[in-house]
Amino acid sequence: MPTLRSLGPILVAAALYAGLAALVTNSYYQLTLTLVLVWAIFGLSWNLLSGYTGLVSFGHAAFFGLGAYTTALGQIYLGLSPWLLIPAGAVVGGLAGLIVGIPTFRLRGHYFALAMLAYPLAMLYVFEWLGFQEVTLPIKRDAPFAYMQFSDPRLYTLVALVMLLAVVLITRAIEGSRFGMALLAIKQNEAAAEAAGINTLAWKLRAIALSGAIAGAVGAFYAVVLLVVTPPSVFGMLVSAQALTVSMFGGVGTVWGPLIGAAVLIPVSEILHAELGARIPGIQGVIFGLAIMAVILLAPEGVYWRVRDRLRQRRAAAPVPEAPPAAVEAGVVPFAAPARPSRARRRTGEVLLSVRGLSKSFGGLKAVQNVSFDVHEGMILGIIGPNGAGKTTLFNLLNGFLRPDAGQVIVAGRDRVGAMPHELARAGIGRTFQVMRPFLRMSVRDNVRVGAYLRAGSEDEARRLADAAVEQVGLSAVADRIAGQLTTKELRLMELARALAGQPRLLLLDETLAGLGHGEADEVVAVIRRLAEGGITIVIIEHTMQAMVRLVDHFLVLDHGAVLVDGEPEQVTRDPQVIEAYLGKKWVAHAHA
Amino acid sequence: MTGTVSSLTRRGFVGGSAALGLATAARAQAPAPVKVGLIVPLSGLYARPGAVMKMGAELGIADVNAAGGIKALGGARLELVALDCGDTVEKAKNAAQRMVAQETDLVAATGAYLSSFTLAVSEVTERAALPLLTLSYSDLLTDRGFRYIFQTAATAAAQSALGLPELMKLAESASGKRPKTVAIAMDNTGTSVATAKALKEKLFPQLGLQLVMDEVWTPPLSDATPLIQKVRSTRPDLFLFMPNAIADAKLGIEKMNEFGLGQGRVPTISFSITIAEPDMLQSVSPEVVQGIMTIVANWGVKGQEKLIADVKAKYGEPWATQNIVSTYGDMWLIKDALEKAGKADRAAVAEALRTGDFGPSRYYPGGRLQFDDKGRRIGAGVVIVQWQKGVPVAVFPDDLALAPPFWPKR
Repeated sequence: MPTLRSLGPILVAAALYAGLAALVTNSYYQLTLTLVLVWAIFGLSWNLLSGYTGLVSFGHAAFFGLGAYTTALGQIYLGLSPWLLIPAGAVVGGLAGLIVGIPTFRLRGHYFALAMLAYPLAMLYVFEWLGFQEVTLPIKRDAPFAYMQFSDPRLYTLVALVMLLAVVLITRAIEGSRFGMALLAIKQNEAAAEAAGINTLAWKLRAIALSGAIAGAVGAFYAVVLLVVTPPSVFGMLVSAQALTVSMFGGVGTVWGPLIGAAVLIPVSEILHAELGARIPGIQGVIFGLAIMAVILLAPEGVYWRVRDRLRQRRAAAPVPEAPPAAVEAGVVPFAAPARPSRARRRTGEVLLSVRGLSKSFGGLKAVQNVSFDVHEGMILGIIGPNGAGKTTLFNLLNGFLRPDAGQVIVAGRDRVGAMPHELARAGIGRTFQVMRPFLRMSVRDNVRVGAYLRAGSEDEARRLADAAVEQVGLSAVADRIAGQLTTKELRLMELARALAGQPRLLLLDETLAGLGHGEADEVVAVIRRLAEGGITIVIIEHTMQAMVRLVDHFLVLDHGAVLVDGEPEQVTRDPQVIEAYLGKKWVAHAHA
Repeated sequence: MTGTVSSLTRRGFVGGSAALGLATAARAQAPAPVKVGLIVPLSGLYARPGAVMKMGAELGIADVNAAGGIKALGGARLELVALDCGDTVEKAKNAAQRMVAQETDLVAATGAYLSSFTLAVSEVTERAALPLLTLSYSDLLTDRGFRYIFQTAATAAAQSALGLPELMKLAESASGKRPKTVAIAMDNTGTSVATAKALKEKLFPQLGLQLVMDEVWTPPLSDATPLIQKVRSTRPDLFLFMPNAIADAKLGIEKMNEFGLGQGRVPTISFSITIAEPDMLQSVSPEVVQGIMTIVANWGVKGQEKLIADVKAKYGEPWATQNIVSTYGDMWLIKDALEKAGKADRAAVAEALRTGDFGPSRYYPGGRLQFDDKGRRIGAGVVIVQWQKGVPVAVFPDDLALAPPFWPKR
């Protein structure tokens, strides 16, 4: 079990921390030890949403503050114990996550970040308006333990440590599962994720609900530690910023990031405050800010990634017997492919995809005009045309990114116009992208596994499908290498494998040969041909014709969004209209000569 | 040669040990200094009031020591330990924890300016059984059943109840008619909300005042025009203007002047020291604030002329605000408690503060230096301060007033 093995360092760290906390008798140092854990948990909560999906939240204080007020108000007005109110805070935070997520996930990028910023600020004013400017948790002199008012401050650290371990376990479990893969896929390219069959909205909502629940729980605990809750102290800008700072300092997208960030920043800021605050008031903020800036400049992705990359580099520099590149080549079927069955036969198979009168305009630009064609089962259809001919737009119409203005997209007899990309992916349409979007820090195998979840019922099945797809494209030899170390050709093949892992019936390939040298393109062409022989129907876009002529069974030539020619490769390459579209008028005469 | 050297050495040794013995004796005669904590914001948003409180504490300690220190402890001197409680509740809590964990020989402390900070600090000092004096006046501070907090100021609810009737009398005697209508414009900070609640629920009905305008803003105030326009149209007999940030106060007052309502044409009353801070004069001219009154928990009053002069001479502060006077007074109160306790021990000091009666109050207005069961000073009063020729002077109560009040004429 790789998950259990990877938990080893965390458990060791937790045991060391517990040992340290047990030794510290100074209540001030103990409070710092508790607060490190509080902010580490809050950082992990932020990381769960923003680190893994890439949707930056500036408003995690909203969930944190709701949790804190759950404890405070629950104890004041209902007389409940924090032992109950912390789980209640988690429920409140989770619900708040859903309520916030449903409208806000309509926004992307900076707009999402800005919209998130508004929630805690709004909550701040709501709680002030409600008259909760200052609330304190009533002191319980007769039943301190029942109300989490320990006289031994070490117990607070212990409770926080247990909470942190639970959150780490949750995060780790997510990281290794289809949940984590879905979030990572969203981070890299939301459109690609959707095309790979991931219901992005559903996963994002799960992520924000879970993230909100964790933030709510830790906020509820924070109120117990601080005993005083005011709107600025739990909904303030600085609270949201704290989550970002510890995560970004330590490293985004890993469970270690917020832990490192909190373990360094919280004590440092406290020490600066204690040592300099009374002597040169305000200087602590300046030093702290400069230190953070220096670290961000030196390690832009966070301390964890920087250190990890350093270690990897050192390990890579050592002479490790690595699979020689020749082995990779060996896995690829030589270009001299066996004779193909007659093209005529493959044009008469069952019609898998039928496009009728498809049109799409952007304002005055008619990107796709009244395009109709059929794709028979088992064929390779090449769509060619000069730049700006509308090829990619056509793909986007086929797999649901864009909604056509008119026309039908009939997949296996059913009109699928208006279906979401992940629904079409489920119906068997896979796709790759012109601009490659690999998950650079993940291994080839894991990259491909993201696509496998479309069909896989279990983690094991996903691994099996992924391995099969890796083998199909001939990347088995480099399956464990991280994607960042691959060549362009290998990346193209990996993208192909990711689409294959979802076991599509129809594969849409967007400029798969772009950027490849001569020999490399031939290898990729061989792989594609093999796939076709394996029974997968392929539609491929390319603007260069050379490699295509030997690959495809049929050509569809687009120009200015309309079908120029629809025919056999030999016929198309001699068509004067095609030559004119590609090369200009004077070459037409030349070609006939 | 050898003999000389050895004799020299011996002589030196004898002399040295004699000097050492003298030094030891001198140390034995001067008792160990007694440490007092000051936990206030020295950095961040509230650094300025925190710095002013530190001035008060330093002056207080210097004066106590100059007067012979703690006589019951053989003339022990007081020593100040200043801690920065920052600008957030979390920092305040951390600083308080640091104070009780690392400054274990403190006998008492004072702080922490903002009531939110004092709430957090007192949660820590209560558990550490360290007596904490405070000038914060939130009622909540002394409503929690705590035994180690001592509130020297009248609580927020009490302040308006004490001050407003006096203002009514003043208005009646000066203008010949009793105010009938009142307008409120306030920010939504804890103090303002608590004060307004007491006013609206109790005082206005009691005094027969009719509320004609009730406006709330969230600091910072971006534009005072709508507020002041409403004041102009309702023309109240009293305008209660309650900002807690200098910038908000300045904006409102300048706008009143612009609308021709300033300089007393609409009698304006505030409820915090914000509007009487020296910083006000950095942004508005003395004429603009002339006549404005504010009801505060403490101020430099009659009988404290020396303190006011010292503050000016030593720190360049033009007048002594609540922050200086109260913190200065805290040092004298801690001295009194130490004299009664007879030992430099926080439990004994707390007990002395709880049970002692140190006579009429000298550095807090009204009442006695004695605390009730909740830790509130018995008979705590207020001071009404009025801007007169560029200086906010105490005009009420009569025995503390440095100048007679004037009621602005319309």
